[in-house]
Amino acid sequence: MPTKHSLTVPGQYREIRQLCQFVMDGAKEAGLDETALFHVELACDEACTNIIEHGYQGEGKGTITVSWEIVPDAFVITIHDNGRAFDPDEVPPPPEFDDTNTAANIKNLKTGGLGLHFIRSLMDSVHYQFSPNGNTLTLIKKRPSAKGSNTS
Amino acid sequence: MNIQQEQHSEQQWLIRVAGRLDHELTPQLNTILNEHIEAGHYHLIVDLSQTTYINSGGLRCLVSAWRKVRENQGNLILCGLNSRLMNTFSMVGFDKVFQIITDCNQLPDNS
Repeated sequence: MPTKHSLTVPGQYREIRQLCQFVMDGAKEAGLDETALFHVELACDEACTNIIEHGYQGEGKGTITVSWEIVPDAFVITIHDNGRAFDPDEVPPPPEFDDTNTAANIKNLKTGGLGLHFIRSLMDSVHYQFSPNGNTLTLIKKRPSAKGSNTS
Repeated sequence: MNIQQEQHSEQQWLIRVAGRLDHELTPQLNTILNEHIEAGHYHLIVDLSQTTYINSGGLRCLVSAWRKVRENQGNLILCGLNSRLMNTFSMVGFDKVFQIITDCNQLPDNS
């Protein structure tokens, strides 16, 4: 059975760096390379930011628990909170930007949903679950051995 | 100081950001950019050569300032992005929004 490591902190922006460092330490142990570590860090940062901003709608309204475990083919992160239910699948991706020199484009440039876009782009799999006990976001990053051809 | 600023040319101001553009540093950068814009400085260059990380909040801060200067016929140019930052910008298409100069030593005199 893989060991699950967890850390709970107050839902405050200044705690996010510590939370993500905790996850990155696990990702290093899982053998993820520098690029994958950066992906894990940014996804963790964006997920925790969304919880404070949208789930709790402000700082100091509840806790965030981040857990990680190493399974044979992946590094699995779960992020739990007790904020408002929030389904990432309902947030559309940000629009494409082509010709940004027009006045209309300057005004219409949307910057909402960027965090979720990062999470989706950077992780191999993203699951969301809501229960009476709170929200759980599961982020999965494949381990290098799982991507190679010589797995046994 | 994580953020330094200097007048680069008659019209242009250069803002250097060192460190991680996350929840701690972004509010400082936001304040500084807004102070410049309120002072009528619409030609800004943000030197990111010493910036090691940026999240969506950091991007939003830069886009917000870019939008304000563009509305005043100015520009906000970025320079010195490392490959990780460049990758972050391109993931959301912001490499097409900003004028990005690779080498901060080769800045134009007017933006």
